[in-house]
Formats: sequence, C-alpha cells, structure tokens
Amino acid sequence: MMSFEIAEPQTLSEALALLDPEDPSVRAIAGGTALMLMMKSGVFRPTRLVSLRKLADAHTRIDARANGELAIGALTPLAALEDAPMVRSRAPVIAETLRTLSNVRVRNVATVGGHLAHADPHMDLPPVLIALRARVAVASRRGTREVAVEDLFAGYYETVLARDELISALIVPAQGERRAAYFKCTTRAADDWPALGVAVAVDGAGSAIREARIVLSAATSKPARLRAAEAILGEGTADAVLARAAEAAAEEADVMADGHGSAAYKRQLVRVYVQRALRRALGAPGVNERAQR
Amino acid sequence: MKTKDQATRQIGRSIPRREAREKVSGRAEYIHHLRLPGMLYGKIVRSTLAHARLKSIDVSAAAAAPGVAGVITAADVRKIIPDPYYGPIFHDQPILALDKVRHVGESVAVVLAADPHLAEQAAQLVEVEYQELPAVYDEVEAMKAGSAIVHEVLRPAGMFPDFKDLAGRRNTNLHLDFKLRRGDVARAFANAEHVFEHTFHTRQIMHTPLEPIVTLAESNGSSVTLHTASQMVSVVRTEIARLLGWPENRVRVKTAFLGGGFGAKTYIKVEAIAVACALIARRPVKIALTMEEQFYTINKHANTLRLKSAVGRDGRISARECEVWWNGGAYADIGPRLTQKTGFTAAGPYDIDNVHIDSYAVYTNLPPAAGLRGFGVPTLTFAYESHTDMIARELGIDPLEFRRKNLLREGRAQATGTVMRDAATEAVLERLAQRMSWNAPFDRGSGSVRRGRGIAIGFKASISNTTSVAIVNVYADGSCTVYCNTVDMGQGSDTALAQIAAEALGIPVESVKVAHPDTDLTPYDMGTLGSRSTFHMGQAVKLAAEDARDKLLALATALGVPVETTPIADLFRKRYGMQAGNVVGVATFNPKSNQPDHATGLAENITPNWMVGGTGAEIEVDTETGHVRVTRLVNIADCGTAINPQIVESQLSGAAIMQYGCTMSEGIEFDAGQATNASLADYKIPGIRDIPAVFVNEIVAARQESGPYGAKGVGETGTFGVSAAITNAIHDAVGVRITRLPVTPEAVYRALRANSATPLEE
Amino acid sequence: MAAGRKTIRFTLNGKPVETEIANHHNAVEVLEAFGLFGARESCAQGLCGCCTLLVDGKAVSGCLYLAAFLDGAVVTSVEHLERDGALSPVQEAFIEEGAFQCGFCTPGFVLMVEQLLDRCAAPSEDEIRHYLSGNLCRCATYPQIIQAVQRAAEKRKASAAA
Ligand SMILES: Cc1cc2nc3c(=O)[nH]c(=O)nc-3n(C[C@H](O)[C@H](O)[C@H](O)COP(=O)(O)OP(=O)(O)OC[C@H]3O[C@@H](n4cnc5c(N)ncnc54)[C@H](O)[C@@H]3O)c2cc1C
Ligand code: FES
Ligand code: FES
Repeated sequence: MMSFEIAEPQTLSEALALLDPEDPSVRAIAGGTALMLMMKSGVFRPTRLVSLRKLADAHTRIDARANGELAIGALTPLAALEDAPMVRSRAPVIAETLRTLSNVRVRNVATVGGHLAHADPHMDLPPVLIALRARVAVASRRGTREVAVEDLFAGYYETVLARDELISALIVPAQGERRAAYFKCTTRAADDWPALGVAVAVDGAGSAIREARIVLSAATSKPARLRAAEAILGEGTADAVLARAAEAAAEEADVMADGHGSAAYKRQLVRVYVQRALRRALGAPGVNERAQR
Repeated sequence: MKTKDQATRQIGRSIPRREAREKVSGRAEYIHHLRLPGMLYGKIVRSTLAHARLKSIDVSAAAAAPGVAGVITAADVRKIIPDPYYGPIFHDQPILALDKVRHVGESVAVVLAADPHLAEQAAQLVEVEYQELPAVYDEVEAMKAGSAIVHEVLRPAGMFPDFKDLAGRRNTNLHLDFKLRRGDVARAFANAEHVFEHTFHTRQIMHTPLEPIVTLAESNGSSVTLHTASQMVSVVRTEIARLLGWPENRVRVKTAFLGGGFGAKTYIKVEAIAVACALIARRPVKIALTMEEQFYTINKHANTLRLKSAVGRDGRISARECEVWWNGGAYADIGPRLTQKTGFTAAGPYDIDNVHIDSYAVYTNLPPAAGLRGFGVPTLTFAYESHTDMIARELGIDPLEFRRKNLLREGRAQATGTVMRDAATEAVLERLAQRMSWNAPFDRGSGSVRRGRGIAIGFKASISNTTSVAIVNVYADGSCTVYCNTVDMGQGSDTALAQIAAEALGIPVESVKVAHPDTDLTPYDMGTLGSRSTFHMGQAVKLAAEDARDKLLALATALGVPVETTPIADLFRKRYGMQAGNVVGVATFNPKSNQPDHATGLAENITPNWMVGGTGAEIEVDTETGHVRVTRLVNIADCGTAINPQIVESQLSGAAIMQYGCTMSEGIEFDAGQATNASLADYKIPGIRDIPAVFVNEIVAARQESGPYGAKGVGETGTFGVSAAITNAIHDAVGVRITRLPVTPEAVYRALRANSATPLEE
Repeated sequence: MAAGRKTIRFTLNGKPVETEIANHHNAVEVLEAFGLFGARESCAQGLCGCCTLLVDGKAVSGCLYLAAFLDGAVVTSVEHLERDGALSPVQEAFIEEGAFQCGFCTPGFVLMVEQLLDRCAAPSEDEIRHYLSGNLCRCATYPQIIQAVQRAAEKRKASAAA
C-alpha cells in the first residue's frame, strides 16, 4: 500500500468528479475500515483515494421525512446510527443489529455508505435493510438514481454501482406496524462475523400476515430473500407453518461452506434461526405499540 | 534487619504489580517499541510450499527496489556462520532455508530497509524457484513406511545425553520415542474384567502473544547485543555464541517486559536471523513479526492420543496403555523434551500398577511446534480425563467416585516409580467436588437447552535438572536490586521475587527492585517457562537474599552494633564513614532429580515438584445448533503457598480462559500445509463475551516443602482440566462424546445427529 | 513535498502539532513518531484494541485509521490520562483489581473504559461485556477487567459526589 494520492473534496460533486469510471485503483474512502484491511493485505493497491470525510457534515444527517421515512446521510458513522433516538424509535431493529456489529471502534469510524458499498456478504445491516425495504440514493456526474438495497448486491463483494457512482443516502421506510427481528449467529466466538444472519420483517399481526420478508446473509454469496419461505407465511403463524417455512428456507437457501461451518450445518442453522427470528419478530411489539408504551 | 525467625511480612500479600503504573499509563517498556539510530527493518520472505527443494533465489529486483539496503539469503549467512543450524535438541533448523524448505512460511530470505513499508514491498520482488517434493502433515501418517521424509538425517544437539544415540539416524520422521514400562501390562489386560480403548485428537494452537515475536540486534563488530522479547535470555546467549563461534561474553542479550509469551518466545525464534542480518549489514536490524507471521513461526503440537485401560470388578484401574503422537512440524524445537517430560504423565494422576507409555515426537511439513502453557499437559489431561470419565460412565460409577477410587495419593508411586510428595491431588479433587456441589441436585435444562457438568484433574512435573542463579545487591541506603534472568511476561515475577527478597532481608518490598535481564549483568537462568520461576528462581533469590542478610549480620557483629535494631544504612555508614559500599548475596539453585531410565522410563526422583490442577464446568448445550455455553467454571489448584494471592488467582483464571479457547474455538487449519486461518479475524481467541458468567478460582491449603516459603509455580495449572471438564459436561448434558478439539458447535451438532442415527451429511 | 506525502496539523494531547506523514501511514505510526507507544499495533485488523486512541473524543483503532485523517482533529492517547502525576480513576481501578498481566492490551482497555463510563456512569455487566467485546487480552484478565470497570464507576461516582 504505497505511494498514492489522497484527494479531499469538499462537496459531493467535487468528489464525483475525482472518481474515474475506468480505473479500479481510484476509489472513494469513507471510514476506511474496510479499505485499510484491503490495502494492508495487498488486495487493493490504490493510486488515488477520494476521501469523503471533508463533505461529512452535509451527509451525516438523519432526517425523518413527512411520509415517515428515515433519510440517513451516507457518511453517518454506524455508531451515530446506533445512538440516534429517531432510529431507536422508528426502526429499533437497526439499533439492535448494530450492537453486535463489529466493535465500538469500528462503528465509530465506519459509515453507512461504506458498509453498504463494500458488499461483503457477512455484513449485518444489509439483510435487515432488505427486510425493511430500504433503498439507497446513488449519485454520479450523470445524475441520481435510487436502488433498492435488495438489488444493490451483484455478488460476492460486488455491487451494481458503477466505479464513478457514490451512495449519498440510505432511505428506510417507516417500520410502522411491521415487526422485525435480526439474528446474528456466530460459530467461532461470540464476537465474530456472522456464520449466518437472518432478518425478518412481518406485516400484520397474529395470523393475519400480509407480507413477510425473510432475508439470509453471510451463509450465501450475497444477502438473499427466501421467497418460498415467505410465501408459506401467507398461511399464518401457527407453529407448524413456521416450521414449514423454516424447512422451505433451508431447502431454497444457496448456502456456502467456509470457515464458519459446512453447508449442511449452515442449512440446519437456517432452519433453526428462521424459526427463531420469526418467533422473535412475532413476539415483539410493533414499533407503534412500542412508541405508545 | 530481620533475623532468621521473625514472622512473615511480605509473603501472602496481594500487593499490586511493581510495574502497574507504567502498564496502565502506556509507558511500560517492550522490545516492540524499541528503535535505534540507523536501524533497518528486516522483512522475511517466506516459503509458499510445504516441502520443496530450493532451486534458485533471485534477489536482484528486490535489491534494486527503492530504499532497500540489502537482501540476505542463506548463502550470505553461511559466510559468517558456516554451520547455520540451531535448535535446543536437534540442530535441525537453518537460519534461512538452505537446500530445501520444510514448511509453508519457512524463512527463505530477508529484505532490509530503513522504512518497513519499503522492506515489505520489496520482499514481494524476491523470486524463489522451487522443486516441489511430496509432503506429510499428519503425525500418524508420518510414522508409516513410505511417508515423505522431512529431514534426511537426524542431528542431535548433544546438550542432553539421552538423545545422543539418535545421531545419524536416517529415513525417519520419528525423532524421539519415549517409552515407559512399569509392571506387566499384557497380563493385566489378559486378566481384566473390562477393557476400554479410546482415541483423541487435538489441533495446532497459536500462542498469540499480543506483542508479536520481535528481536533487534546490533553489533560493533566485536560483540553483538540482542534486544529480544525472549523468555530465555541465557539460552539465547549460549546458542548465538555457539552459532558465531564466539565466547558467551561477546554476546549480550537484553529484554524488557514481554507482551505475553506462553511458550512462544523460547529458545531461538528470530534472534539468529536478526544477528546474521545485523552482522552482514553492519547496522542494527529489527525483525518484528506480524500477527500472521507468528502462525508460521511456532505453535503447539497437534496430537493423536490412544488410551487403553484395564479395570477390575472393584472399579480399580489395573493397567493403562498410552500411545501419544506429537506433531512436531518441520523443526524439533523443544518438542522431544516435551514428548518425554510430559509423556511420562500420560496415564494421569492415578494409582496404576501396570503402565505402558509410548510417546513419539514426529516431524511433518508444518510449522514447528513447541510448548504452550502447560507443556502438553492440557492435551494429555483432555485425553486421560475424557477416557477416565468414559470408563466411569460405562461402568455406571459416578465419575467423582471413580476418580477417588483410583487417585494417585501422597506417598504412592507415580508411573515412573517416583513417590508423590507435596502433591495435593486429594485436596484438589475434594475441594473441586465441594465447589461443584457434586452431591446436590442439578438442573438439567429443558426443551432445546440441556445442561450438564463435568470435572477433570491433571498434574504436571516441574521441569527438572535446571538451574537458576540470583544476585541480591544491597545498596548503602538499605535498598536493593535483585539481578536475575527471570522475565516478567505478565506472570508477575518481578513482584513475587521482590516479595521473596524483601521477606528474606526483612525490608519493605518497596525497597526491592528487580532488574530486567541483561546477560552482561544478570546471571544464568535456564528460562522463564514451565511455571518454574517461583520455585527455582524464587528459591535462588531467597538464598541469595539470605546470603546478603548473613553478610549484613556478620557486619553488624563485627561492628559491635545490635543486630536486630540497627538499620541497614547505618551499618554501611558506620563501616565506610559515608553512604558507600555494597553487600552482595549470591545463590545458585539446582534441585536434583534423575533422568528416566532409557529403556523403562523409570526414575526414583523424576521431578523437584508436582503441580496439581482440577477444573469443573457447568455448561448448556443448544441441541438444535450444537452451541455450548459454559455457565460456570471452577478451578482448583495446588501451588503451595501463594506468594501474592491476587496474582495467583489471575494466573489461574487467565490460564483457564486460554485453555477454554484451545477447547472451544482455537485450532490452526491447514490446507496443503498452508494455514488458512492465520489471522485473528479467522483464528478466534476468547473475548470478553466468551468467558463464563461465573468463575471460581481457588487454591487449596498446601505447602511445597522444598520451595521458597512453601511456594511453587502456578502459571499453567489452571489449564490442565478445562478441556475434559467441558467435554465431560457435554456428555453429561446430551450423551455425546467429543474426542476431537476444538469443540465447535458443528462438531457437537454432528455428534448429536450421529447419536440419534440421523447423521448430518458431509 | 514528495509524492504520497502530506503535512498534517492536529491537536495531540492538548497541544497543537504539525508533522509530515506518508499517505500510507496509519495513526499508530504518527503517535510513534511523537514518542508515544501506548497505542501499539498487534492484530493490525481492528480486532484487538491494542492500538486504541481517541480522535475527536471517540475511540478508534489506530491500525485502521489513515494518518491523513488526523488532520484537524483532536487526538488523545493513553499517555494523556495522567494529570499532574495522578492516574485517572479507571487506571487506579485497573491496578487495584489487578486487571492486567503483561499489560500489552491495557492502554486500549483503559481508554475504552474511560469512554464507556463517559457514556454510562454505571454500566451493567452485560453492557461492559458488549462495550469491550472488540478488545482482546491474551492473558485473559477479563474477569478482573469487569471488576475494574465496576470499581472505576464507583470511584467516579465518589469523586463526583465529593
Ligand atoms: C475488525 C472489523 C470487524 C468487523 N465486523 C463486522 C461485523 O461483524 N459485521 C458487519 O456487518 N461488519 C463488520 N465489519 C465491517 C464494517 O462494517 C465495515 O468495515 C464498514 O462498514 C465499512 O465502512 P467504511 O466507511 O469504513 O468503508 P470504507 O473502508 O471507507 O469503504 C469500503 C468500500 O466502500 C466504498 N465506499 C465508501 N463509501 C462509499 C459511498 N458513499 N459510496 C460508494 N462507495 C463507497 C469504498 O470505496 C470501499 O470500496 C468489521 C470491520 C472490521 C474492521
Ligand atoms: S492492532 Fe489495531 S485493533 Fe489490533
Ligand atoms: S494483559 Fe496481556 S494481553 Fe492483556
């Protein structure tokens, strides 16, 4: 990791101008926690880093929009997200997820944009954000677009973003009546990357489930919705239905073996944690109920 | 000053560590921080293959890279060190690879630069051409006919006479075969009511000192000084002097606080490379390993262990046969010593008339292995205490009761024939039973969470026939400095030794300083390892302080002043007319013991002392995922007198947590000899969220009569029983037996499925 | 100035400083250049906390923090906790509880505990464990560290009351 330039633009448009659509050795750096690891190991050898830190102030805000959506600036540190009262009240599952995501020092530095753009399938927030139907706002010299977090990941460490695009904000719809839960399952130590992440969000209470999202991460090459399992939940929330949904989840998940466990074992974890996540979500009060308490 | 019979004042006091203030304020000195003017950093180029002939090394591109001051290969080393092989038992390890490489990560060349980043960058430009050879990784495979051979010929170092007859042996990976033969095992098995046989496996563990291995060497041409994070400064001096062909007084070895050692920083690690580079480059050279490089430098043996026992109708073990394979990796290091010294305890702390032990040190094409906190005892204890529990359960005898029936008690002969003295096996087992409330009802959990509990007890012989020398220099103001080569790597030796010196001299502990090892000034010590320092160096310091005290008493008598009431400073003032002079006490402690007989492994007096440790675990198993949570861990130890109870307690809990890691998560994974989890991101040592909620650490009332103020070592004792206590508890909870460490959730879940006849596919 | 280098200005332990850095340097290397060794690199991956320092009042892993990012920041290292020769209550509590052995991880833990107690005056054991989950101690003094946090919380309470 030697001899590269660090550019420090003051505005988003300056930053965009410094990126290069063709050159993979030019990259944005936000918190730098992921990039530093890649540079140290020699996976990434930059010629230019475009630091986003000097534009931080304008892009670290967390706003509540009139429609209840949360708009979170891409440079918001994960710790600020964790602590924000607005996040705790409107999307408590995000704050809960952050508690065991990496460690305090990384959360103090790592940003929402960097977390999403890095596309490591072991990341904890993407499955939760997909379950919550979140989107990212993406900017480039060509203009802006929105991409559902569900569609952001193209594969293992790959996003659909072009080299000269930046995430400018994360938009999280109001959780409303939906109940959500995230389970991080580690197999090597309590504090570790997940072997398996399962996020669920269910709309509706009791047996009247209108929509359910079940998202699996870490065990797959990118976060993936488990649609067959989701469909089964249309039948209600009886124990037998949950068990069938979990079975379907284990069946459909495209699970990979790695240092956290074999594919067969992780499939069992999917079976167990999909049920546990659904139970936790169904048992949890909805956000509005929570706010009223 | 104190005369012989005054009451104890310093022993048994939990004073804070002497260096506490420096450590909490970030000012403590470590070699890690040391820089010298004109210093170069050396970056090691490492082998990418497990076993290969070195065809050529092209350093031209690296040497031409910006900032590079030199690139060193074995050819350069040979010019100053013609026979560049080192090792405590075998001279088998080259400073840099010569004709072939024997493990992935072996040091092949060193790139030197003033900027470590430039050295690292240029190191990638060194081109090494290999001719790959067949390799062997498994310790049992390596002993079979037709296996790849790691070393063509064995070269014993000659330091220990019992290894001499191995010289020149060819075509074998077996480089030590320790045998113990006691009684008539064959007959006992033939007559036995029950026979049990089980096999166990453990993996390589990395010591993971948070201060990685580091040495800085400098030379003025006629002498060399090493600043090294080493647990064995005297041995480093001897070995470097031998390599250079210099007298020892031209080699100076200094150390500071160690950021952990655990056995990783013993014998030669990067010292020889640093010295060679410094002599060749004529500048100070620092070799500081990264965390990742430590994985290629040293680890704890992987083992295969086979145990077989004969048990009579009365529940007494009549015979035990143990076969232990130690995967030594590519270089023997201290492995053969461990194979033998630990090997003779392989049958466990049980009173068994007929014992048969075979303990094999085996070369493989993996990074070299050495002792790690317990010198193999935690591994053996895992095997024999699992085996013991399995027998008890098979026979329907309560595991505690079965141990009581068979325990090796005071006054009885251990497998070697040595009679047990000052080994509180009974007290440890009984206290463990009490603190586990073994006879009280136990909540066994419900639903998918099942609870269980287990116990295990182990013992260790102190490393024998070793020497410690101490000097106690009393200054004219009554303060004093202890000069010794014991290294404080966190175990608190500076504090304990100061307490011992203060006690012997009858002065406040605040008046005692313990100098850091510097072989130009501090006298010989075998090393800070094997929990030997409190006993060996403690005794040497006590004797040296008593020597100084006797001289002071003689001085008082000669001066005609009252011995009891005259302050030390007044003695000097009276003697020299001013604050001047010294009184120097010196002592050597070398407790005698005998080597085991070559043919039978028997010895009348195998060790100067025994350390005894027992652990109990209460655990929960999630039967749907195999996750195991230890909810309560009880450690009971016999360390004789606790010189500093607070430090003793934290040694016990620290050792137990380290072994908890070795049990639950740690294990280096190799693929074709390449470590695939060589970083703390993938090799998980215990963190604060892993440790049990309830922790009990206690010592039993005991005295080691031959130790200083009744004390002996305790740095390893907390490790012994942890693994088996946990696997025994898992069996108690869910009826599955884990015989292979680490106990991953997947391993437990697979065992559960196998047990219910629905095995999980691979 | 040579390519790949940069001058940065920041406040270090209360004093304004200026230094030239290489762009690839990290924050630990900067502190070392100022003779401060309390933050030290061990795992080099953000996992052990040995390299902890405070940037604008927040704990970061120096090993993963680009030196260039220190420009304009207020930087505090463990060496700054001692005031007028007196240790902080957290440091005292670590000593009294014997919450370290080799001491290599200790400055990192001490800084993290200062932060934890700034956020939460009386953390539960669960909160302590979560907050410190990114700090490793191979000597495994965790039980004593938990006690030290509790003792430090008491000390802070007592000195606030005084
Ligand atoms: C020790 C450690 C443990 C960790 N454990 C976990 C864990 O358990 N769970 C978990 O989820 N995560 C974990 N992480 C990952 C952590 O969440 C990421 O490092 C972090 O989110 C990356 O954020 P950053 O701002 O530092 O990204 P950077 O390192 O700055 O950037 C990462 C990538 O994103 C790009 N990028 C940055 N910002 C933008 C933007 N606005 N638009 C487009 N591209 C951008 C960069 O070019 C780069 O490719 C861990 C990290 C560390 C260091
Ligand atoms: S060295 Fe930075 S966290 Fe370990
Ligand atoms: S005290 Fe040694 S690593 Fe923590």
